[in-house]
Amino acid sequence: MGLSRREFIKRTAALTAASYVGMNLPIKESGKAEASDGTTWHRGTCRLCGTGCRVDLGVKNGKAVALRGVTDSRTNMGYLCMKGMLFYKLMGHPDRLTKPLYRASKSEPFKEISWDEALDIASKKFAESVKKYGNDSVAYYGSGQALTEETYIFQKVMRAGLQTNNVEGNPRLCMASAVGGYITSFGADEPIGSYANLELAKCFFIIGSNTAEAHPVLFRRIMRRKLDHKDEVKVINADPRVSPTSRIADMHLQFLPGTDLAMLHAMAYVIIEEGLTDKDFIENYAVFRIGKDKKQVDFEEYKKFLKDYTPEKASRICGGNITPDKIRTVARWFATSGGTVSLWTMGINQRKRGVWANNLIHNLHIITGQLCKPGADSLSLTGQPNACGGVREGGGLCHILPAHRLVKKDKLRHQVEDLWGVPRGRIPPKPGYHTMAMFTAVNQGKIKAMWVNCTSPAQSLPNCDLYNKGLAREDFFLIVTDIFPTRTTEYANLILPTAFHFEKTGVYGCTERRSQLTRKAVNAPGEAKPEVWIVREWAKRLARDLNDPIIARTVAPFDGLEEDFALPEAIWNEYSQKLTKGRDNDLRGATYEVLSQMADGVQWPAPTREFALKGGTVIKFVKGYDPLATEHSKDDKPYQFYGPAHPDRKLWVWLRPYKGPEEMPDLEYPFYLSTGRVIDHWHTSSMTGRITELMRANPYAYIEINPEDAKRLGIKPGDMVEVASRRGRNLLPAKVYEGPVKGMVFVYWYDQAESRMINKVTKDAYDPGSKEPEFKICACRIRRVSGPEPLQPFLVELK
Amino acid sequence: MPIAGFVITVMPEDIHKVTETLGSMKNVELHGDDGKGNIIAVLDTETSEDMDKLVKDINRVDGVLSAGLTYFNAEDEVERMDRGEYVPSRSFGNKPLFPE
Repeated sequence: MGLSRREFIKRTAALTAASYVGMNLPIKESGKAEASDGTTWHRGTCRLCGTGCRVDLGVKNGKAVALRGVTDSRTNMGYLCMKGMLFYKLMGHPDRLTKPLYRASKSEPFKEISWDEALDIASKKFAESVKKYGNDSVAYYGSGQALTEETYIFQKVMRAGLQTNNVEGNPRLCMASAVGGYITSFGADEPIGSYANLELAKCFFIIGSNTAEAHPVLFRRIMRRKLDHKDEVKVINADPRVSPTSRIADMHLQFLPGTDLAMLHAMAYVIIEEGLTDKDFIENYAVFRIGKDKKQVDFEEYKKFLKDYTPEKASRICGGNITPDKIRTVARWFATSGGTVSLWTMGINQRKRGVWANNLIHNLHIITGQLCKPGADSLSLTGQPNACGGVREGGGLCHILPAHRLVKKDKLRHQVEDLWGVPRGRIPPKPGYHTMAMFTAVNQGKIKAMWVNCTSPAQSLPNCDLYNKGLAREDFFLIVTDIFPTRTTEYANLILPTAFHFEKTGVYGCTERRSQLTRKAVNAPGEAKPEVWIVREWAKRLARDLNDPIIARTVAPFDGLEEDFALPEAIWNEYSQKLTKGRDNDLRGATYEVLSQMADGVQWPAPTREFALKGGTVIKFVKGYDPLATEHSKDDKPYQFYGPAHPDRKLWVWLRPYKGPEEMPDLEYPFYLSTGRVIDHWHTSSMTGRITELMRANPYAYIEINPEDAKRLGIKPGDMVEVASRRGRNLLPAKVYEGPVKGMVFVYWYDQAESRMINKVTKDAYDPGSKEPEFKICACRIRRVSGPEPLQPFLVELK
Repeated sequence: MPIAGFVITVMPEDIHKVTETLGSMKNVELHGDDGKGNIIAVLDTETSEDMDKLVKDINRVDGVLSAGLTYFNAEDEVERMDRGEYVPSRSFGNKPLFPE
């Protein structure tokens, strides 16, 4: 790089950064022509969390070389994090899968085959299984990282083509309890408000979320709000582990894992006892319910119920640093702030009582009226870029069809069949296996062929050794579509290489109901193909092998379209124009043409082009903001809770009794084990582990131990520690650190090394409502095995 | 040789102390602050790995709350990779499928 070019890039970097904070630098903006010399900028979003950061990818000579934020974007205001900065390195990485690979037996090595052969095998194996063992002997397991077009087309072929609802995805492992919470509390899935509330809030209640590391760009917005209004804005961080998120907190509530239900009830107790409720809001919009039969009770009954959760009693249950005074203080802050935003992620969702925990946060918002107004929201943060858009909205779970339709509702199922032009009765009325039941069915030999797309259950399922026995069965045929080898490709018979982000076109829908388009900017390496092409070509072969023209009909509208743009656009059009029409996530205004014009996409509902071009709905259910609130208005009240699950059009305050975790520490396994992320790595590290910079920063997982526990057990920093549960064990270096509460240990779950895969140890108990596993809490024991040992980082390569 | 533009946010009362520390760091070029705790910095390092390490070091400086990336250019590194002058480390696994 010549000096002038280099100086020019440095100037651009300085000017870009300065423009974010409204500073004028004494640098001339000369040389713009040089800037554009050879570099083209392509629109898209980051794919390494659920925030939905808008990025432009700079491409020079066909290679991704630069990234910049987009200041007009309402998700990230232009800011990016380090994971986002380095993801361009995955394009063209030497480990990328570039050819279809096949082996008949899992004991054989893979051999390269052509796409024609691969698709024939994929079709033949699924067809054989359907003919011999029935439609429910096949399954699809997808991902919150798949584009909406991909999830939609996969589930369409599975349901209307292969006539099975065995359609699941990894959002079951992270978001299902949030879905259950929103539906049972508010009557409709997904948040009412938007990130826009972060700049208006007066109180942040961050519970079960290490926002600073898992959602750094959103954390930056929260932090900025706090810094600019230090005395006015309160930040409460509630978590059994002190994390980098705690550093801006006015109060950190550190409780024993799983006891937060009692704490949340105690906050409600204080709010009512001190007369801090919003009586008008409750009277107009809320009802109180209890039990499986959703029995309606009155406010007095709720008050009576809460008497079991006085701050004094709750503080005894919660342990840690929780005192009655702390509970009283945060309850007052929450209720009287003038605008409270709650934020949470897996600490709330990945629980035996995840739905209830979600309900209890919503309860606080309902009784204080902290909803539907600027600066107030109950906002579940998403971990993956398209868990909301693709899986929750696109029909990617076993019980839901596209656009929030329940499989079991005949009317809704028939609507979908009619819209797809397939005979009524084609989609089975019974939901398929949820994730844990699906992999149990694999173990039992009931599922004979499965397609895993863009995820790695062999590492990410709780108690994974148990389920990997099923994946290893020779009578179980496994297809994996991915960009890199993973722990799951080790069990595959057929591996199909796919295009990565910016190597294909499609839509991601992030946390705040916002859909954004990423367009193809660079070619995929080797023979890697977009999933939409793979599914279309596979479905045509399935129609042939099963002699079933209806299967062909599922992809007929897309036949012959080129795969980089026309094909995903046609799939998006079918989904948005036909399937979302008249539904609460109406996306008809959000065409590719509109999405291509917007700095930051469109928030649904957005039924018309004109409305979508204004950005869509910032606050759901509020007349004047949400067109459906006006359309479905039944009275002159400003808020209309038209969600499909609550025919009474009310918000439901739930009387959910306190229940602890499934597995409590005891004499044999005296510690709580919890798991989570570290800033450099994402999920199973199949991507971030291949970015040398990130891997070297965190080459292997640690076990975090509270200093008091470490001292008692004679464990020093770096010592090798065995962590064991009733299910499995790991051997990890110790990080002695005032992070986890005393009596709890914490392990990062990204590491692929056999001895450090913590999901061998976690428990596969799951929430009876959401079916989401309780990754966050189980009982374990720890012991020092040796002093520090030299360790090697590890990533799977194909053998 | 990657170049990046950052907005480094600090507690406003720490701005002088932090600016002094950042100013003494190699490969960090400061372009002033906005009076609200936002410092404009350009980082220019030999490799992306050095960049990552430098950002971590900045985050560890007492008083720094966050380093927000706004622009990143690594065209030089990509060109070197293309010309075969720079081979990024392979992953850390054991046996490759197709030994070269």
